[in-house]
Amino acid sequence: MESTVTGRKNGDQPPVVQYDGVVKRFGSLTVLNGVSARVNKGEVVCLIGPSGSGKSTLLRCTNALEIADGGRVVFEGQPLPKTEAELRHVRRRMGMVFQNFELFPHMTALENVAVGPITILGADPAEARAKAQALLEKVGLGAKGGNHPSALSGGQQQRVAIARALAMDPDVMLFDEPTSALDPETIGEVLNVMKRLAEEGMTMVVVTHEMSFARRVANWILVFDEGRVIEEGPPAQIFDAPTHARTQSFLSHLGWNG
Amino acid sequence: MDFDFSPILDNWRFLVQGLLITIELSVATIVAATLVGIALGLGRVYGPGWLRVPLTFYVDSMRAIPVLVVLVWTFFAFPLVTGVTLPPFWAALAALTLHISAFVSEILRAGLNSIRPGQVRAARALGMSGAQIVRKILFPQAVVRMLPAYGSLLSVTIKDTAIASVIAVPELMRQSETIAAQNYAPIEVFTTAMLAYFLILFPVTRAVEAFYRRVAHLGRS
Ligand SMILES: Nc1ncnc2c1ncn2[C@@H]1O[C@H](COP(=O)(O)OP(=O)(O)OP(=O)(O)O)[C@@H](O)[C@H]1O
Ligand SMILES: [Mg+2]
Repeated sequence: MESTVTGRKNGDQPPVVQYDGVVKRFGSLTVLNGVSARVNKGEVVCLIGPSGSGKSTLLRCTNALEIADGGRVVFEGQPLPKTEAELRHVRRRMGMVFQNFELFPHMTALENVAVGPITILGADPAEARAKAQALLEKVGLGAKGGNHPSALSGGQQQRVAIARALAMDPDVMLFDEPTSALDPETIGEVLNVMKRLAEEGMTMVVVTHEMSFARRVANWILVFDEGRVIEEGPPAQIFDAPTHARTQSFLSHLGWNG
Repeated sequence: MDFDFSPILDNWRFLVQGLLITIELSVATIVAATLVGIALGLGRVYGPGWLRVPLTFYVDSMRAIPVLVVLVWTFFAFPLVTGVTLPPFWAALAALTLHISAFVSEILRAGLNSIRPGQVRAARALGMSGAQIVRKILFPQAVVRMLPAYGSLLSVTIKDTAIASVIAVPELMRQSETIAAQNYAPIEVFTTAMLAYFLILFPVTRAVEAFYRRVAHLGRS
């Protein structure tokens, strides 16, 4: 099916991430009920859908923060490995950004960005800090490296969190509602950073309720409902001509009117 | 009623010796109990299952037994069981460490468990190992969070050293008792002892509080 999807960015190349019938249960609750989808190189794939439909869970199955109970997740041609030690190596190549930022409060912004390369990759501390500084500049926070998270606004914290993920040179970035915890004034600064990242060709999977971002930046939209992808397609199709009744009602519920 | 403080002035060296031993015993206990307590706490939260049960039993027992009983047992019963007699100071240090370390481990455990799971998730997502997560992410935050409770425990520890007087450790309380008995001046001597304890404890408690206020944000995720 995936090769017949036409007009998809880099659809002729092997996908970066592929989900094959992914199933995830928590006890008796089936949260993912056979999700199949792909994420191509350089694509921005947005996951939208109602609360509790399994979007965060799919993201966490991608970097094995949760282990799928059925089906498989394939990353760069390899199914996710089984052992924790091997999984750690895979996670290093995927960046993740959380709704609540989850910066480490006891470290400065610069230390937050440098800690991954130093602790995990054994990078030279001086080099890692120089690179961290460059990344902070890239997200517009070159002057804030010495601040602790408590001395940063939500939007600034989230930009540091993006820089922290980028410091590992990931092949794909996973965003879980990166702007949902932000004041409306600071949402834009985070979305701008993400948009720039997309323009540089970063492969991104984004769970979001920011429909205008999805509309403008995404190459592909996956609509979730009750643990399934009920509809997928380019933004123009999903937003202007949704075929599934649940998609229509979800979008109108959000006040989206084309 | 007349107060006569001359016994204190006459014996000030003797009392200061006691004060120094109180401080020595306090510092030694705090260092030892902190190290043992950290090991206990980490073992209880992250250790293998077979280790958690005995550690939990140990901590619960220490919290249930009066420290005086632990002290007297360490000094009088321990030598009978093991054949090893401890000098009073060492017996007091051992007993206080056994007791206080249980509380340190409880405070650390509460601190570790209070850190929200998102922090672990973020560290795992970066690719950190379990040991790296504890060392770099959880432990430092837990230390900050445990400061207020740890500060109270410090004062409890310093106060508890007074019970070492029952096994004749020549610390402040013991020396005070000696002077008070020799001179029939309990009010003067024990008032002085009270003041001395207060003068040690008050700055310690205040210093920990002030330090916590400065660093609290480092533990707030
Ligand atoms: N660790 C867990 N244990 C038990 N149930 C869980 C767990 N994680 C998620 N769930 C449940 O799985 C379902 C899907 O959760 P998920 O967070 O993936 O939804 P979502 O689409 O991201 O929703 P939202 O938009 O609210 O973030 C929910 O019903 C949630 O309560
Ligand atoms: Mg979610």
